[in-house]
Amino acid sequence: MNWRKWNRWIHRELGFLFFGMTIIYGISGIALNHHAARHWDPGIITHSTTIQYPGTLRKADVDRNTIEKILEITKEKENYKQYYFPSQDHLMIYLKGGHIAVNLQTGSMQVTKIRNRPVFNELNYLHYNKPKKLWTWFSDLYAFGLILIAISGLFLIKGRKSITGRGGILTIIGILIPLVLLIIYLWL
Amino acid sequence: MQRSIFWVIIALLAVSCNQTVKKEGDEPEALKTEKIISATIVEILAAPTDYQDKEVAISGMVTHVCRHGGQKCFIVGEDGETQMRIVPGGGIDEFKVEMEGSTVAFKGIFRVLNSLQSEEHLEEHDSKEHHSEEQSHSTAEKAEYFVEALDFKEITQ
Repeated sequence: MNWRKWNRWIHRELGFLFFGMTIIYGISGIALNHHAARHWDPGIITHSTTIQYPGTLRKADVDRNTIEKILEITKEKENYKQYYFPSQDHLMIYLKGGHIAVNLQTGSMQVTKIRNRPVFNELNYLHYNKPKKLWTWFSDLYAFGLILIAISGLFLIKGRKSITGRGGILTIIGILIPLVLLIIYLWL
Repeated sequence: MQRSIFWVIIALLAVSCNQTVKKEGDEPEALKTEKIISATIVEILAAPTDYQDKEVAISGMVTHVCRHGGQKCFIVGEDGETQMRIVPGGGIDEFKVEMEGSTVAFKGIFRVLNSLQSEEHLEEHDSKEHHSEEQSHSTAEKAEYFVEALDFKEITQ
């Protein structure tokens, strides 16, 4: 068997083996990119609704009864944890899976519910290597496999479209793009 | 033959990866003479140099957990106003959003940044997109002091 056959074998077998891992890291990679760029957490979903308290409130008048009334209006009695005043005009009531931010001056109550975003939460768990242990080994193996897939991919074909032709130009472009962006953003 | 050599190399690599290097400061817990100081947030901030780089035990209600990977959280003191920034250290990877509103007891090292580190911390803070409005934890977020948590336990959930 010549080296090209071996090369194709490595590329094909590793491609099949690590298909799932590439999807995991690809999807979570996009999510994490946007996580860093924007104030968006791919792992959680927040949903807010605004409800009006009948009347206005003053910090000095807020007691257990007031809290219970707010919880009754917002139907969050069973989720109550604790409350505190972030400022003179604001009351924060913490709930299991969210919170209620009350503007004491206007009586506006913003109920925010927080829950794990399905799929993304699990993918991020893996991408950040939170499980550690065996996952570290398998993801290291994947990273090594990905390098082999990339290198073997360069030598899959012969001729005009190979690494010595159009393929080579595309490879150089693919190396230059991150390099140029690195120079612009990091060194200039 | 070649296959045998390959497996021998793999086995050697695996063994070498599992070797633990005994580092300075790896003494057993029992040999550590430094005591953990139990203090309130207000007490610590009244005399920060007394607590600097010492192991402290503090507790408070978690007012906010950073949404950027849970790499910091804030607890409010018994005065209901003063907050302390807590960052994960030791074996803690992150703080969960679910901790918000829970009273949590932390054990960790109280750190105070020097002026240069403090400047860098502020620069880093300003370079990232944070809350558009000032929050109740904003002072603690920008402050030169924080606790590097080594362990924590939720007292109330």
